[in-house]
Amino acid sequence: MPRHALHTLARGTVRGMRKETPDTFTLLLELGDGRTPADFMPGQFNMLYVFGVGEVPISVASFGREKHLTHTIRSVGRVTNLLATLAPGSCVGVRGPFGKGWPLDEAEGKQLLVIAGGLGLPPLRPVIEEAIAEPGRFDGLKVIYGARTPADLIYTYEYPRWQAADGCDLLLTVDRGTPDWRGNVGVVTTLFPKAGIDAARAVAFICGPELMLKFSILELSRIGIPAERIFVSLERNMSCATGTCGHCQLGPLFICRDGPVFGYPRVRDLFPREGV
Amino acid sequence: MHFTVSKRCVPKLIRNLQELGYTVVGPSLSGGVVRLAELKGQADLAAGAVDVQDPGRYALGKEAPLVFSSVNGPDSPKRYLHPAEVVLSRLVDGGDGVQPVSGFRPNGKYAFFGIRPCDLSAVGVLNRTLLVPGFEDRVYSALRDGAIFIVVNCTRAGENCFCSSMGTGPGAESGYDVAITELPEVLLVDVPEADSAIFQGIELKPATEAELREGEEMVQRAKEQMGRKIVRQDLSKRMYASMDSPAWGKVAERCLACGNCTMVCPTCFCNTVVDSTDLRDGSVSRVRVWDSCLSKDFVYSAGGNPRLQRMSRYRQFVMHKFAYWPDEFGTYGCVGCGRCVTWCPVGIDITETVDVVLRDQQAAEKKLEAHPVA
Repeated sequence: MPRHALHTLARGTVRGMRKETPDTFTLLLELGDGRTPADFMPGQFNMLYVFGVGEVPISVASFGREKHLTHTIRSVGRVTNLLATLAPGSCVGVRGPFGKGWPLDEAEGKQLLVIAGGLGLPPLRPVIEEAIAEPGRFDGLKVIYGARTPADLIYTYEYPRWQAADGCDLLLTVDRGTPDWRGNVGVVTTLFPKAGIDAARAVAFICGPELMLKFSILELSRIGIPAERIFVSLERNMSCATGTCGHCQLGPLFICRDGPVFGYPRVRDLFPREGV
Repeated sequence: MHFTVSKRCVPKLIRNLQELGYTVVGPSLSGGVVRLAELKGQADLAAGAVDVQDPGRYALGKEAPLVFSSVNGPDSPKRYLHPAEVVLSRLVDGGDGVQPVSGFRPNGKYAFFGIRPCDLSAVGVLNRTLLVPGFEDRVYSALRDGAIFIVVNCTRAGENCFCSSMGTGPGAESGYDVAITELPEVLLVDVPEADSAIFQGIELKPATEAELREGEEMVQRAKEQMGRKIVRQDLSKRMYASMDSPAWGKVAERCLACGNCTMVCPTCFCNTVVDSTDLRDGSVSRVRVWDSCLSKDFVYSAGGNPRLQRMSRYRQFVMHKFAYWPDEFGTYGCVGCGRCVTWCPVGIDITETVDVVLRDQQAAEKKLEAHPVA
């Protein structure tokens, strides 16, 4: 990453907004400096700045071949609530990209497991799109995704395309069903036995709430996937994104600089661990 | 190269630094405390003031006939090189996106005059921490690049000092522009070159063997005076192993999570950026302020708050210094200045914390009973 990018605020013009769920939306941005989604690696994040209010770290949800840089955001705080109100044509500041992304090369030729919980799906969306765009690169793609309720599932408009893609299986689950929900009910790990996982050649990319990560890792380990083939994306409150503010530290790691994607062996002793 | 200069040359030394374009910063009395402040001249220097420190206590005692008489106060060079409040940039919204109208520019350059070896080491720690290649902190980098360091070796240890066990004092080893040892009659100075502009117009006499030996002995005495220590052998490894010790909870019971320790610490660098809007023209200043891992919201995010317990925040502060810092930056985050011990309102002694959490549970509790909650 060029050095100037650390603090340069690029102009991001809002070109579209998709409502995902009642509290979650996807922003489509065009960058004023001419960069495209191809300049942002899957798993990296940007700092989005609302003038006079502040910055928030948001993972890159777009795939390199798409037109717009996209970010999927849940309205939970001061900055994200304002981002939700942006009209097409309005601007945000974009600082980034930051961090190390998903090691797609490590999964090449292997069965790729994309395991996501809730808002853990956006940073994995470019991985899914990449795998679909290059069918021969991986030996099968399993997308295993869980949300609290059917109404909390995001990117539902993509599912038919993902399901139809060669070599791709999409498995969905919800914690609590509704009368019209015909799918699986239960945490994501309940999908593992149904996913046709080949432990001998699977590589897992996981992102979601800490508990979901913890139990997914436990279950994958139990069925024989070694720690070296498990990668997780961790969440902390990245504030400067350059490893100089201290907020996102997890033990000796700066999530912004050393992560947010880690090979599981590197974080095994620190995560999840009470109060670290 | 070692020389001696007369103690009467101090005003001239300060003037020389000013003429070289430096803002001279050194120990200065303010409200009964020796702070680091701009020295306009000799009168501003806290010469003679003697600080008396204990856990949770700072006072000035009987004066001493010395130029550099105090050990350390609450300020370290951090206050100048990594300011508590600094405007990173000023932005305007021209309708067509946000444009910066100004960025950070250092307002002059500092000559630190009369800081102690622990603080010089702390600058070394900050160098490793804030100048990671590719991730250099702009503000620190600009301020540090302009600064020079006139360090004074310690010939008296403060009650809370433990620099000797951290390998950062009481004598400065490197990283200084001038090192001074105050002998009873003269100042023994170590300068890299004899024609240093700092000593323009000041008579430098080659130091005699006896003067050199006297300086070394005085620093050695300070080392022997030091009552506190941290055993560095395998420290990081032993600290990691202590993380689940119940002793952490016991120690943290006394902690008020006030963050004083992190404010006075010469290496604590944590910060946060806040936006401040100017109502006259609508411009926004992005202001960086010190933050503290002891504060409850420090790690709060949409995903939750991993350090809701005060124990986990206090443990973070201590673990960072002795376990995480070595892994992150190849140096301890503690230089043994003892400030966190002095300025803790309940007098928590970090050397005792390390000691206690590294012992077994039973021994740990026994020791805490001897130092009940204040």
